Amino acid sequence: MEKKNSSETAGKAITCKAAICRNPGEALVIEEIEVAPPEAWEIRIKILCTSLCHTDVTFWKMDSGPERSFPKILGHEAVGVVESVGEHVEEVKEGDLVVPVFLPSCKECRDCTSTKSNLCTNFGSKFYQGMPRDGSSRFRNMKGEVVHHFLFVSSFVEYTVVDIAHVVRLNHEIPADKACLLSCGVSTGIGAAWKVAEVEEGSTVAIFGLGAVGLAVAEGARLRGASKIIGVDLNPEKFEIGKKFGVTHFINPTACGEKAVSQVVKEMTDGGADYCFECIGLASLMKDAFNCSREGWGKTVILGVEMHGSDLNVNPYQILRGRSVMGSLFGGLKPKSDIPILAKKYLDKELRLDEFITHEVNFQDINKAFEFLSQGKSIRCIIWMDK
Amino acid sequence: MMAGETRGKPIRCRAAVCWKAGEPLVMEEVMVAPPLAGEVRIRIICTSLCHSDITIWKLKDPPGCVPRILGHEAVGVVESVGENVSEVTEGDIVLPILMPDCGECTDCRSEKSNLCSKFPFKISPWMPRYESSRFTDLKGEVLYHFLFVSSFSEYTVVDIANITKIDPNIPPNRACLFSCGVSTGVGAAWKTANVEKGSTVAIFGLGTIGLAVAEGARLRGASRIIGVDLNPDKFEIGKKFGVTDFVNSGNCGNKPVRQVIMEMTDGGADYCFECVGMASLVHEAFACCRKGWGKTIVLGVDRPGSMLSFPSFDILHSGKSLMGSPYGGVKPKSDIPILLKRYMDKELDVDKFVTHEMRFEDINKAFDLLIQGKSLRCVLWMDK
Repeated sequence: MEKKNSSETAGKAITCKAAICRNPGEALVIEEIEVAPPEAWEIRIKILCTSLCHTDVTFWKMDSGPERSFPKILGHEAVGVVESVGEHVEEVKEGDLVVPVFLPSCKECRDCTSTKSNLCTNFGSKFYQGMPRDGSSRFRNMKGEVVHHFLFVSSFVEYTVVDIAHVVRLNHEIPADKACLLSCGVSTGIGAAWKVAEVEEGSTVAIFGLGAVGLAVAEGARLRGASKIIGVDLNPEKFEIGKKFGVTHFINPTACGEKAVSQVVKEMTDGGADYCFECIGLASLMKDAFNCSREGWGKTVILGVEMHGSDLNVNPYQILRGRSVMGSLFGGLKPKSDIPILAKKYLDKELRLDEFITHEVNFQDINKAFEFLSQGKSIRCIIWMDK
Repeated sequence: MMAGETRGKPIRCRAAVCWKAGEPLVMEEVMVAPPLAGEVRIRIICTSLCHSDITIWKLKDPPGCVPRILGHEAVGVVESVGENVSEVTEGDIVLPILMPDCGECTDCRSEKSNLCSKFPFKISPWMPRYESSRFTDLKGEVLYHFLFVSSFSEYTVVDIANITKIDPNIPPNRACLFSCGVSTGVGAAWKTANVEKGSTVAIFGLGTIGLAVAEGARLRGASRIIGVDLNPDKFEIGKKFGVTDFVNSGNCGNKPVRQVIMEMTDGGADYCFECVGMASLVHEAFACCRKGWGKTIVLGVDRPGSMLSFPSFDILHSGKSLMGSPYGGVKPKSDIPILLKRYMDKELDVDKFVTHEMRFEDINKAFDLLIQGKSLRCVLWMDK
């Protein structure tokens, strides 16, 4: 695709390629669409690269519920350059490097102004198929039909339109593929370890699910000086990978024989882990994670998006023995302030991001990214728009 | 009986024995063995009735058991000590406390936990160290202990881990309250929740625990303390403890309690406390707490086998926390003296918890009053 000068395209619709999901679970189809210019409070971004997160896969397959809206453009982990801005946008300008995020911040409401919450009250109470302020779509296919948005980002497309509440500005110093990771998974895991759990030196940690989020929790816990980081995963290959991120012990639930995973963890930690993380999205594992936590002070943090909408069941006697359970979106981080902090830590070599990238493909091969992830072969596959 | 005379010997005294689950206690003479190594024999001065006594009293299946000496909220004077006990001596005024505190294990040495791992808390029929009983009836039949305390007896034997020495100047009919209920509620507000000035608090169940939470929240400067109860009389009572708003959960019309509270607080309370012991109320409390930072604290004990159930999406998307608070997070030997000092300095007011006082003989009346919801704390005097 020829490079377009932003001043030429500002205010006009852009025709470009998108990877469209037409039906649940079907391979994405690359086709041309029209992307409308940004309205007030919106920006249009030229995506540099995007990566596949398991939450994309969960909603890609979802056959029912309010999220069921097709055709749609998936993808919510990405980085791009501002092509043009709508009225009232002052936070960023054309040419800026930005990361779109699914989690909004209006910067004004009680939650946004508090350090204790990252759940903006003015935005984000429902995950619509459109833009957050009015639910409308900026995407049309070549027949003029609406193509739905996803998680207020929609990054599997060459140009997307995002509300300024969902935009984080970064310095150009950080390489695009590393910036992209901070858009969701890695930030979620690091935030969960640092902000939600507040892992301290010497802690023991148990992580259910060694995907990008779980490995990011491990990295975050390692940087905080955790003494034991136990990774629980069905895939034995995840142990070698996990070691790079600080995992010290590995449990394969199918290789525990008669013992429940929680019992193995309790034996390894002399009574239970100080912090347990569920990074998959299965209520049964959330319960297992809780049962691994130490009485007295054990905290269980839920990060996974439950795939079937099931309930988490917890024994009240276990809760009464001093345990707590909490969930968090985006690891409790406030995107606009915390993503730049993580970017700086990467540039200062305090935080490792390179190891999360295990595969790279061109945009036209985006379906390979889905295959790699579904087969458990990749952590993060970067999808390059222009290579 | 002069203390020195009974040292080392069994003592014959009165106790209120539960012979059958849910039936009136029988006042009879029992034998109380001398304390073994690490144990202390106490002469009870007064004891008060807590709802947990009633819950277990009614239970036909474990952890209920008979015959048993119930009671776990009390104050007494040390009659004699077993070997290796140097923390207290004869004549000391002490609180026997259901929550063990050995002072040595990882939990006891940590600020973050009050669950001693050397003597794990449980609803046991025995003494913690030797798993045996110090009580027999006059025919020699073993009588079971309760919560390591068994205070419905003129004399009891308690492990040193379950003993906190206190200032002898504290009136006994106030001191005994700190042995369980008041400490649990105030501790939950101060330690587990760490309620800060200006917070909004919702309390499900305005019994002694719930009202103690209110008192603790009031002292921390909570701006709103919403009390939820089925009994409308609890509102007037609650006001004395700092309750600012009342929701009668039996009388909200078509609205569920959660909706009433969400509307009252414009999005939910900062801290919600469940002080009854019903899984369904824990769910309600969780629903009423504010997204982003809301904490739901569970204090009540439901039936064995009950389950708490939450939609996973709610847990993930809300940023709320659910936590349990055993004994209000209070570490008996270090925290109780602090709470007692706050009482003596007239910062913490516990007089209003005592709604009735009677003689030990009338213990079954105390049960009736509490079951009927007519009392908060009824203090029973052994010697009056």
